[in-house]
Amino acid sequence: MTTIALQVNRRAVELPAEPRTSLADFVRDKLDLTGTHLGCEHGVCGACTVLLDGVPARSCITYAAACEGADVTTIEGLDEDEITTELRAAFTREHALQCGYCTPGMLVSARDLVLRLPDADERRIRIGLSGNLCRCTGYVGIVRAVQSVIEARRARNVGPLADGGRTVLGPAGSGRAATARSELRPARPAPASESATPSSISDFTPATILDQRFTLPHPPAKVFAMFEDIAGIASCLPGVSLTSLRSERVEGSIRVRLGPIVASFEGAARVERDPAALSGRIVGIGTDQRSHSATQGEIRYRLLPLEDGAATSVELSIGYTLTGMLAQVGRPGLVRDLAKRLIAEFAANLDRHMSGAPSGRAAPAELGFWSVASDVLRARLARIFGRAFGRGGAE
Amino acid sequence: MKPAPFAYERPRDLDAALSMLAGSNGSAKIIAGGQSLGPMLNLRLVQPELIVDISGLAELKRAEVSGGELVLGALVTHADIEDGRTADVTRGAMRAVAANIAYRAVRNRGTIGGSLSHADPAADWISALAALGARVTLRSLAGARTLAIEAFIVGALESALHAGEIVEAVHVPARTASAHWGYAKSCRKTGEFAHAIGAVLVDPAAASARIVIGAIDTTPIVVTDAAELFGGRIAADYKQRFDARVADVLLAKAGIDDAAQRHIHISVLKRAVLEAAA
Repeated sequence: MTTIALQVNRRAVELPAEPRTSLADFVRDKLDLTGTHLGCEHGVCGACTVLLDGVPARSCITYAAACEGADVTTIEGLDEDEITTELRAAFTREHALQCGYCTPGMLVSARDLVLRLPDADERRIRIGLSGNLCRCTGYVGIVRAVQSVIEARRARNVGPLADGGRTVLGPAGSGRAATARSELRPARPAPASESATPSSISDFTPATILDQRFTLPHPPAKVFAMFEDIAGIASCLPGVSLTSLRSERVEGSIRVRLGPIVASFEGAARVERDPAALSGRIVGIGTDQRSHSATQGEIRYRLLPLEDGAATSVELSIGYTLTGMLAQVGRPGLVRDLAKRLIAEFAANLDRHMSGAPSGRAAPAELGFWSVASDVLRARLARIFGRAFGRGGAE
Repeated sequence: MKPAPFAYERPRDLDAALSMLAGSNGSAKIIAGGQSLGPMLNLRLVQPELIVDISGLAELKRAEVSGGELVLGALVTHADIEDGRTADVTRGAMRAVAANIAYRAVRNRGTIGGSLSHADPAADWISALAALGARVTLRSLAGARTLAIEAFIVGALESALHAGEIVEAVHVPARTASAHWGYAKSCRKTGEFAHAIGAVLVDPAAASARIVIGAIDTTPIVVTDAAELFGGRIAADYKQRFDARVADVLLAKAGIDDAAQRHIHISVLKRAVLEAAA
């Protein structure tokens, strides 16, 4: 807990709150100002928009602790506000609301547009309201209401204030706080210890498929034999650790880092091989307890001879389906970039492993290795990238 | 949709912030405006033990022109740039980019330093600042270093920041009187992350051009000497000489295998070239 002092609707407030408390939860749960609505809780829908130091801000992704000393105005504080009074009348007249869920945030954003826009240009109003989602009434009435208020005010010679009256630099709501620290580090509940390993692994149709290719300077038969050594392969895959290994079933975990996100998927995989076609398939299923996300994935590989059989082209088709919180930010493109980086390192480790050199896995302990990799390693990876992916735009 | 518990510190100055970061052994995250980190905390995708809130540090809220370049502190917000509260050496280029980032409520808190640190390939500043030839100063307890933007972004959500290091300032060179600027992006919904970004800084008088193809899921393609995209030389007729095939090869080389995706990126780049030439 830390004590937070700020002004809400022109009233000084000083209350204890956890650092993780959002400004929205602070005003709703501690001050009973429930006019501020929570929709998506990750900054997309705009229902929680309030005025922070006089300008609109998302109260669901702004923490109350970060607003120490700030001036907060919620929808309840706009009862007497001139522009909002005009907007309320216009919303009523133009039928700009039905259920009212988006309305508090919509009014705060609309007020900002009335204040700042030079004229009632429909396109600019629609762009200006694009960060506030309405799911029932539709936007026609809302846009008309905002237009009519702007027109009326400009007709009365009330000019626009393009910068909304803000004169200082930096995030709205910041800057008036003294130093602070919360008491003690919070105790973390131990992660649930129930087994994450599924009993059966079924086939599935992946939502996303990435094709990748790399080459190894070893003959296909040798590479195929290497691929049978699951423990050896796992040691070349950054972030992978095995807990159980039977002939066709593998259990273990893979730790993946994507920027600030760290996920550790625990699960099991089934291994299939077709020696005649020098191909195979690994189907796996895993869950990340922390982010409550689950993934199903499969890797299909096919080995093709290169340079008269002296080298091997490893063709990979990686398919996966991601569900849960991670899927919210796991845009396929970001995962593709991660997969490329993973495979570049896998290929380098595999080459070292097959050449008898110790595998280089001590250094990069997880997939997001760029930030810890030395410049030397980075340069080597750049060369591998050139070799593995530069050819004819292979993916 | 509530973050996991974290400890919270608000340091009094940059040195104190750097000490907290250095003492945390990687379990701390810096927060500024929180417009990218906030959603990830709420979704519990990121669960740091400690949040170091630098949003109050006055030394990161500066904006000044010195030695022909604009120096923006990391805490300058998109709205600060949009509204012209900071000086502008790009003759409106940065203001227009800032005005189209996400939504006004986000721009009022989201910072230029935070956006760069987050290193989302689809974010605007990565591409726009690379085209403008900007550099970024990183600071840790060990000192400061300066990198070109294109060297700072190393992959999806991956920057060159070392542990214990933060973005301190962005240095933007002045856009010359003869330099043309074009910036275009394609978003499925207004304010959402872009699916393609094209940024073009062409100076026909100096026969030079920088071109960026961004939002390609990884480090943007930055061509600092872009004559090859204009038939080998940059002149007043660069609009007519723009060669989409060269851009197509660059995209294929960067691993964009889907011809439809390459088409979208090229179309957006073309729009940026047309805007520059207009």
